Amino acid sequence: MANISVFLCKCFGEIDNTINFDFLREELSKNSSVALISTVDSLCLETDIEKTVSLIKETDSDKVLIAACSTLSRGNLVVETLIKEGVERHKIGLVDIREGCAWIHGDNPEDASKKAKDLINMGIAALQNRELSDDMSVTVHPNALIIGAGPAGLAAAMSLARTGFKVNLLERSKVPGGMLRLISRCYPGNEEASNKLEPYIREVENNPFITFYPQSKITSVEGDTGNFTVHFSFQEKDSSIQAGVIIVATGAKIFFPTGLYGYGEIKNVITQMEFERQSLNGSLETKKPVFIQCVGARNRERPYCSTICCPISLKNASRIAEDIPGASVFILHRGIMTPGNTLEKYYRDTLSSGVQFIRFEEEQPPRIIGSDYVEAVEVYDAITGITRKLETDLVVLSTPLVPNNDNVQLAEMLDIEVDRYGFFSEIYPMHPLETKTDGIFICGSARWPVSSDHSILQGKAAAMKAVSYLRQSKIAASTLSRVPGLKSGHARVVPESCTGCGNCVAACPFNACHLEKMENRYISVVNMMKCKACGNCVSVCPNGSVQIPEHNYRMVGEMIKMAF
Amino acid sequence: MTGFEHIQKTGRDAVLVVGGGVAGITASLDLADAGQSVHLVESSSHLGGQVSKLDKLYPTDHCAFCPLWTDVKKCMGHPLITVHTLSNVKDLKKENGNYSAVILRGPHYIDEKKCIFCGRCEKECPTDAIHPDWEHLYPPSFVIDETLCTKCGNCEKICPSGAINMELKEEEATLLVSNVIWATGFKEANINHLKEYGSGTHPDIMTSMEFEEWISEAGTNRGNIIKRSDGAIPANIAFIQCAGARDLRMIPSCSAVCCMHAFKQAEWVKRRDKRIDCSIFYTDLRTVGRDYYRYSLRDFEDANIKLVRGRPGLIHPLPSGNGIAVQFENTITQKREIRRFDIVILNGNIQPSLIQLRPAQPGSMAAPRTDKEGFVIEESGETSDFACGFGLEPADVADSVIQASAAAMRITNKESDQR
Repeated sequence: MANISVFLCKCFGEIDNTINFDFLREELSKNSSVALISTVDSLCLETDIEKTVSLIKETDSDKVLIAACSTLSRGNLVVETLIKEGVERHKIGLVDIREGCAWIHGDNPEDASKKAKDLINMGIAALQNRELSDDMSVTVHPNALIIGAGPAGLAAAMSLARTGFKVNLLERSKVPGGMLRLISRCYPGNEEASNKLEPYIREVENNPFITFYPQSKITSVEGDTGNFTVHFSFQEKDSSIQAGVIIVATGAKIFFPTGLYGYGEIKNVITQMEFERQSLNGSLETKKPVFIQCVGARNRERPYCSTICCPISLKNASRIAEDIPGASVFILHRGIMTPGNTLEKYYRDTLSSGVQFIRFEEEQPPRIIGSDYVEAVEVYDAITGITRKLETDLVVLSTPLVPNNDNVQLAEMLDIEVDRYGFFSEIYPMHPLETKTDGIFICGSARWPVSSDHSILQGKAAAMKAVSYLRQSKIAASTLSRVPGLKSGHARVVPESCTGCGNCVAACPFNACHLEKMENRYISVVNMMKCKACGNCVSVCPNGSVQIPEHNYRMVGEMIKMAF
Repeated sequence: MTGFEHIQKTGRDAVLVVGGGVAGITASLDLADAGQSVHLVESSSHLGGQVSKLDKLYPTDHCAFCPLWTDVKKCMGHPLITVHTLSNVKDLKKENGNYSAVILRGPHYIDEKKCIFCGRCEKECPTDAIHPDWEHLYPPSFVIDETLCTKCGNCEKICPSGAINMELKEEEATLLVSNVIWATGFKEANINHLKEYGSGTHPDIMTSMEFEEWISEAGTNRGNIIKRSDGAIPANIAFIQCAGARDLRMIPSCSAVCCMHAFKQAEWVKRRDKRIDCSIFYTDLRTVGRDYYRYSLRDFEDANIKLVRGRPGLIHPLPSGNGIAVQFENTITQKREIRRFDIVILNGNIQPSLIQLRPAQPGSMAAPRTDKEGFVIEESGETSDFACGFGLEPADVADSVIQASAAAMRITNKESDQR
């Protein structure tokens, strides 16, 4: 059937100086699919585009093949222009005969012309056999579910509620606030944690857009982007809500250094968190504290830096050095982690407040002297090469944040990923709050240990990402792509021939394929909201029952036939 | 330029984003996706900022270009975003709770909408003033270096698509905007006056951004690692951390990204040529993000990259011109040494670009309130400046993007309050 108009772009001589257009016209006219061959000076010229569009409208051919430059240079712009003029996207084919043909084979015009002919014929075969994927859309529930009411979750809830979206805020404990409730002051501004928390708590209490569910725990999650159904226990009763987006802000927990540096056996060896509690309730009494960094972190077991422990020690050490006259404060560290301007200044200020720093190496950790009560800490100073004995009345261990125990379970329910340590993880570093499932975002220490300030920042950022989903009334599966209009389609299963072997289920990296019972057998079903058209299922299907219509077997076969 | 005049009339209630790096792009896209119109002003000829110059991103070793390209492309095509390249904010005034911003735009001698990237102008130019804009750019285009251009007009005559017009002049326009986000990013600081680093005395003493381009797969040498002085393969490379940074004479703050940047470059040197010996001279290794510490461990365990704690006291070219002497004390072994290196990379001399703008052209450019080091101080009030990215606080890609989205959220919220 002759239904394809072919437009050959000369590109101001860039293409036709190498490629013989007369030869192309002659060869292409032999192709029975070709209804019209037209040569234009440049499709970048508005006049030529107008000419092309009017030609397309005149002839009754319904498909257009453009032979011009690569999608990466201007080819894509030509396609976009044609779409604006009313030609459907799947009816336009683009063949690159400039960069990949005329330019690189400039020294061999004869073969370049033959290659151009083959490329265009392949393009015609592709266009002729290309099918269109099914699409679906989901009505968006204009409300958000936020898991965890720590600083990150609270900031996200407040931002979304003030933007006008309803928020359901789930919290495991009885009250909002998370880890901020356990500490006295926040670095680097040294403001009271309770002051920082107060406006958020007030917002949760007073903003009618926020519904707070204390003592709740998620049991299962169903549905897709824009339309999640979350089942959870709320004060020991089963409950469920629907949400358009989910923000995970579950935080992290403190590592207890049982057995390290005599913790648990010696009374005056405490963790940083116990230090915070004692300074909150006023029971802290110390004049000669020694802070030990990287306790249980940056070792074989936990090969990561927990980000917040160095600044916390700086905060607590400088407070004692400044508030208690005659205090002698030591921080034993393996490199102070204070990147940036604010934290580096905080470090310099702590240095000038009289706190002393001793660097030790992992192989030679400090030694605690004393059995029931620490009298001194012996440490090999890696910089001066001298072993020093520091008299002390309190040893404070800086321990890392570790992921919550149920992170893996929650990640499975939400279909998002955790990293090798158990923190929730993003896919690309350039989109750090977005997860494998569109519409689910991660923030705060659930993602990676961060300070309260950064948790709040991430909460706001996650809320911003959520807004772009929530303000749509419907989300089409084909738009769930970072690049609009470039999602190549969705996998399609032919139910008649599917044997239900489950290969595709195992191969799908996005959990888009699953088996469903049909009559007396199982067949594979593709969830289009999750399918990214990667084609893994196509390659493992033993009998070709699953295809991506835009790149189906027949099309590829016909293209290969044209090439040889 | 009818398009530009049109914009002047419809610019009200838009947000002005200054800087088209990752932070600016993300802030613009987030605001536009939330229904807010945006003017994105970028001083160079293309979007992408410093990240477009990076070959790889730590800690995943992914190509930086692909995710950036998708966002740049989305930005260029977004109906609510107006991109102004080769533009600067000349003046910014607060008026009745809004801003009126005077933008200096162009001249765009080569119209990127018309340029077909054929390269005839580059061949024709007698003074080599025309070169491709960054290779990975979308859409690709050429730019004219005004400092070299003699305005001979040869390029204008040869251009087949009529994209070149040397008659164009700089245009000035006033935009009415409701908020401003400063996403001005960083620039490399000149540390030639810190004599001990030997910066500028030998072609093989490079800054880390120069070296990134030098070894980039899309860069000058297509991923080959050679010396800039004679093109030979280097035997060893020294990475000097905190060169100019954490230094009260120059940049007191820690630049936050250079430790990981050095690890990444050392790793890629090793991947391409195992024989090249890499040493990193550090003060503290700041590896706070996800997998950063593990990345550094992997480097010095598997790839055999030497870590030396110490800041070199003197770096100078050898009298023969072949090689560079680095004099340092290893503060862990307390030994003083002098070692010969073929290439020396100075790492850490980056600072907010706003600090370089201030003393050079006082009064000629609008700038927000900054601290002594050039970092933006965010003002609160009825109309306030927002900032994100390196201009606010030293930040890598992930942190910049988070700050950008958060700034966009704060703007969105503030406007909801007013309604």
